[in-house]
Amino acid sequence: MYLAIREMRFAKARYTLIATIMVLVAFLVLFVTGLAQGLAYDNAASVKNMAATHFVLEQDSNHRFTRSQLDQNQVEKAGLIVGKENAESLGVKMTTVVPLGDTEKIDVTLLAVNLDGWLAPTVTEGSPISDQTKGHVLVDQKLSDSGVKIGSIIVDQASGTKWTVSGFVKNESFSHTPAVFLNKQDWLNLQAQTLTRQGTGSAADSKVYNAIAIKASKEKVKELQSALPNTEVIKKSEAVSAIPGYKEEQGSLLMMIVFLFVISAFVLAVFFYVITIQKTSQFGILKAIGTRTAYLARSVTLQVLVLSVGSLVLSVLLVQLFEAVLPSSMPFQLGFSTLALTCASFVTMSLAGSLFSVWKVAKIDALDAIGRTAA
Amino acid sequence: MKKRLILQEITRTFEDGGIEITILDKLDLEVAEGELVAVMGPSGSGKSTFLSIAGALLEPTSGHVLLDGESITGKNKQELSDLRLKKIGFIFQSANLIPYLKVEEQLVLVSKLAGMEKAKATKRAKDLLDKMGLSHRRTAYPEKLSGGERQRVAIARALMNDPAVLFADEPTASLDASRGLDIVSMIAKQVKDQRKSAVMVTHDDRILPLCDRVLFLENGKLVEKKEAPQSTFHVV
Repeated sequence: MYLAIREMRFAKARYTLIATIMVLVAFLVLFVTGLAQGLAYDNAASVKNMAATHFVLEQDSNHRFTRSQLDQNQVEKAGLIVGKENAESLGVKMTTVVPLGDTEKIDVTLLAVNLDGWLAPTVTEGSPISDQTKGHVLVDQKLSDSGVKIGSIIVDQASGTKWTVSGFVKNESFSHTPAVFLNKQDWLNLQAQTLTRQGTGSAADSKVYNAIAIKASKEKVKELQSALPNTEVIKKSEAVSAIPGYKEEQGSLLMMIVFLFVISAFVLAVFFYVITIQKTSQFGILKAIGTRTAYLARSVTLQVLVLSVGSLVLSVLLVQLFEAVLPSSMPFQLGFSTLALTCASFVTMSLAGSLFSVWKVAKIDALDAIGRTAA
Repeated sequence: MKKRLILQEITRTFEDGGIEITILDKLDLEVAEGELVAVMGPSGSGKSTFLSIAGALLEPTSGHVLLDGESITGKNKQELSDLRLKKIGFIFQSANLIPYLKVEEQLVLVSKLAGMEKAKATKRAKDLLDKMGLSHRRTAYPEKLSGGERQRVAIARALMNDPAVLFADEPTASLDASRGLDIVSMIAKQVKDQRKSAVMVTHDDRILPLCDRVLFLENGKLVEKKEAPQSTFHVV
């Protein structure tokens, strides 16, 4: 304690330099983490928001909602096993809409859910829709940036179906596109229209959904899996990472974060190692006059701790400042738990980086002090 | 008179390329209270080894070192550290101060390591610095001090924990003649006043008159010689 603090006070320039590097690295770590979190949420908000534990998808759909097709039969079967109220059919379709009287096209994802059930989103503005209302949808707040208001009519490009915007929901998106919620009736109508347009099949067998959202225990899930042939039951997290682009995006960001952690550990390790080598004879003298190795090791560790915690505090402040001035369209999300976890890992990595120096300090022999002309 | 440092039949051998070399061969030494002993000898004669063993930095192959009657044999590293901290004061060749501690802090550090109260430590540091004529330098960093001043701080630090024995390793090596004399007379005075036993390894014959005894390290043993120090050029 005594030594560590006084040394930092004495060699201000040296420690300020390393602290600056640490602040920058820590800032980058926090920023990229926040961005990764923000992007993850922005990408998969709707699925993440769902209270489901598992999803039932068609076999060989590669965990992707958009590739899977299930019929009403399977929905009912699933309802029998896990309980009718714990199984909700889900329709997912990525499409392009145009607000009526406008030319700007918007990519959206249609989500067909039971609007009286537990998949229904919370309406933040406007009025909610029910399973009975026809031709009405709830849209994500982001659409208001494109001029969509309550009462606006949006037209589905593929089918030509028109919907009236009844209300807005917040933070609902799928694969980075804003979500549009519609009820089952409208979903089935849409299916029928699309099929008619394509000229395949008939309206009768068009009761098609993409997935079944399930709330169930592990045992029930196993039972479900064996009861429904040609399906697979996947966890919510698996469904999230199978959203187009999700895994790739998160993977590269995660790689950056991991690299930053490793870099910060190495920067500290090298810095303290060089300083320690420079101070070998000093440590030798300290040991000769009776300083215990543990005391010196603690001293080095404390310096690393002060540096990493200090730079973390600064960079957390910086990130918060940044967050305040960032445009709202920038997906940035740094919750307390993520922040705490990131900070803890940062400090841990820094301490790991100091181990090398501590080992070096432990190896220095007090005998070095005898017969030396210069320190 | 009480002997605060006693070395009994100290032998130290090294293995070098399969050949066993004896550096110290049944070396005996007793230093009384208030006595300053100078140890001379050419390089390679084993002065450093002798000082390391007497200073509890190195274990002898055989023999005993007694500090204030207490044997240092069979102690572990931490116990030896504590022993050096409390029973031994070291004064090294040069630059043996910690560059980032102010003069006063150099002294407070060692008493802090020994667990002395802060107020008491500060007072003792102040007294010692007064004795060394360094009161005006209390808040200076070592880099601002002259070579002589640095050695005086080192003496004060060595005395800080009221040790039994003082060891000085060529304390005048980086000083000019008059400053060297100054430093050694200061060491001699403190040794007398505070009843310590002191051993000084040196090459510097100008300071020998200030020592109570002058010993030469020859063939692994300490021998007393009355004649001029040319004898240091014996080949060992």
